[in-house]
Amino acid sequence: MAVTSSIRESAGTVVRAGLTGGKRDVRGIVFAVLLLLCLLTSLFMLTILMWDVVAQAIPVFDKRGTSFLTSDLASSPDKAGVSQGIWGSLVIAGFVVVLAFPVGIAAGVYLEEYAHPSRLTRFIQLNIRNLAGVPSVVYGILGLVVFVQGLDGLTGGRSVIAAGITLAILVLPIIIITTAEAVSAVPQGLREAGFGVGGTRWETTRDHVLPYAAPGILTGTMLAVARALGEAAPLLLIGAITGRLASPPGQTLVDRLQGKFTAMPIVIYGWANEVNKPGKKTGLTFEDLNAAAIVVLLAMVLVLNGAAILLRNRFENRRQG
Amino acid sequence: MNNNKRRLVLAGLISFSLIAAACSDDEKSEDTTTTAASTESSTGDTTESTEAPMELAGGEVFVSGSSTVEPISVRVGELADELSGGELAVTVEGPGTGDGFKKFCAGESDISDASRPIKDEEAATCAEAGIEYVEIEVAIDGLTVATSPNNDAVTCLDFPAMYALVGPESEGFSNWNDAQALATELGSTITFPDADLTITGPGPESGTYDTFVEFVIAKIAKEREKDDTTRTDYTQSPNDNVIVDGIEGTDTSLGWVGYAFYSAEADKMKAIEIDKGDGCVAPTEETIADGSYPLSRSLFIYVSKQSLADNPAVASYVSLYLSDEGLAMVSDAGYVDLPAERIAASRSAWEAAQA
Repeated sequence: MAVTSSIRESAGTVVRAGLTGGKRDVRGIVFAVLLLLCLLTSLFMLTILMWDVVAQAIPVFDKRGTSFLTSDLASSPDKAGVSQGIWGSLVIAGFVVVLAFPVGIAAGVYLEEYAHPSRLTRFIQLNIRNLAGVPSVVYGILGLVVFVQGLDGLTGGRSVIAAGITLAILVLPIIIITTAEAVSAVPQGLREAGFGVGGTRWETTRDHVLPYAAPGILTGTMLAVARALGEAAPLLLIGAITGRLASPPGQTLVDRLQGKFTAMPIVIYGWANEVNKPGKKTGLTFEDLNAAAIVVLLAMVLVLNGAAILLRNRFENRRQG
Repeated sequence: MNNNKRRLVLAGLISFSLIAAACSDDEKSEDTTTTAASTESSTGDTTESTEAPMELAGGEVFVSGSSTVEPISVRVGELADELSGGELAVTVEGPGTGDGFKKFCAGESDISDASRPIKDEEAATCAEAGIEYVEIEVAIDGLTVATSPNNDAVTCLDFPAMYALVGPESEGFSNWNDAQALATELGSTITFPDADLTITGPGPESGTYDTFVEFVIAKIAKEREKDDTTRTDYTQSPNDNVIVDGIEGTDTSLGWVGYAFYSAEADKMKAIEIDKGDGCVAPTEETIADGSYPLSRSLFIYVSKQSLADNPAVASYVSLYLSDEGLAMVSDAGYVDLPAERIAASRSAWEAAQA
């Protein structure tokens, strides 16, 4: 393997030298350097940002330990924690997985595999693309009117259910578009082979198209979950809590789902507004806690994406094998 | 072979959704158990304080409104949780005084925090919806006009000077000097430095903005037949920490925030003394409490009489709020305690409402 690739490489060099007349390809080198510089610049910015946040977050994890992860919202930076935010964000992610994934993937497959290419289909596709670009506040208003006020019997009003459904709808266009794109990238030959051995459209889609498109689809779902975890604007409209979220005794899971809620981006938003007076015991400020909350949110996104990447790799390996 | 593959793919997809679902389920149940545990432990902690002088009814209370008052209400809520062993469950949010009254008059919240008295049109909305309320003063805040400690040239401002710098006629002034002619015309005795003017302050959605306009700008604007508003060309933010950063960030800055935000970082900001005609007064706890500082404002809670009748927890919470223990949270949150006679007035207003 290594030998063949090195042979291929040296052969490439010889051919390239022959084609350019033995001269060095100066323009090519300049272009490559430029590309590398662009990459380094963006990486540099990202590193600075990460370093800034992580450096401020370390003392919080150091002094507060796991109590930061298990405590509720509170008035003092010595006691406040992100448990309620983590819970809210995970429930929202759950709604996205349960509602938006199946519906979005099915809609994308239908658009590419089943719908006859017509003006109407193109019109629908165009609209879904536009929906993906609609500002999230607009979805917040939709959520407020439909799920908070209209369906308050089901959602319980300003609840995490209303938030979960709203964000599931918000990410639906992203999932539909990436699914449709992944499915349309499947080589036509695969489908024809399926039909050729007598498969129906459904069998061909299930056995050939979907497995081939799975890595692309999973990329879309990853983006969707990350987006849903990071959104703050719709949650503010739906009425996520910033100050103190009490859990009354004897609260059941349904009560909790239908009751008032908060989520990680809202916790961060609220803490950014607190007076930055250091806590008496730990000397931490809400600004420090915020850095730690950002690290927690990033970790959540990474863990969820990590699961999707593992799955994607498995699909990709199988496709090659 | 083909069958096998297909099964594997299906199993993969199903297991993915199951894993994802299971993950969130796990977290949920784990989390509920921890809350249950912490409730239990706090119940254990408070067994010794069952002899507390106040009987606190169990139940849920929802407080919305001013982000300025939110820290006080949160602290009293934590106190209620501690004293009642988790039975009195108070949830507090702070979207702003105006948004708070919207929710309050829609019957969504039991109590509305406010950093200014209710406006006539808000009171009308409440009346239309049949929401009666009682207004209770709980604390005093001193609107602090501040600049950078490096700004030696400015130590005191009078009302005409502030109108000239921030009022509706100051649009476009980018140097302190630009406002000199207008300030002098209005009778100010302040001499402005020749320096860049960088203003950061709250925007119109904020009660802090309303208070500034009402105290400083409204009267002069009316005399000059201008709108009672500020100039629009300054950096506006609903986030007080952004305003604090703006004031600290430039040597010749100008801005205004609540006293709690100033006192937390008093070493990095310089409070400008205010002259209402009786000499320059700096904002301190004493001058704010006795009213000699001209920009003192009251912080209120508005309690819905409907909630009061329906939900005994609301009465418990407000009684705790107005107890000595509850009012101790005012200074803990960085605000100024009411003088004794105004505490008495608030308590009698509350007793009258309960009767």
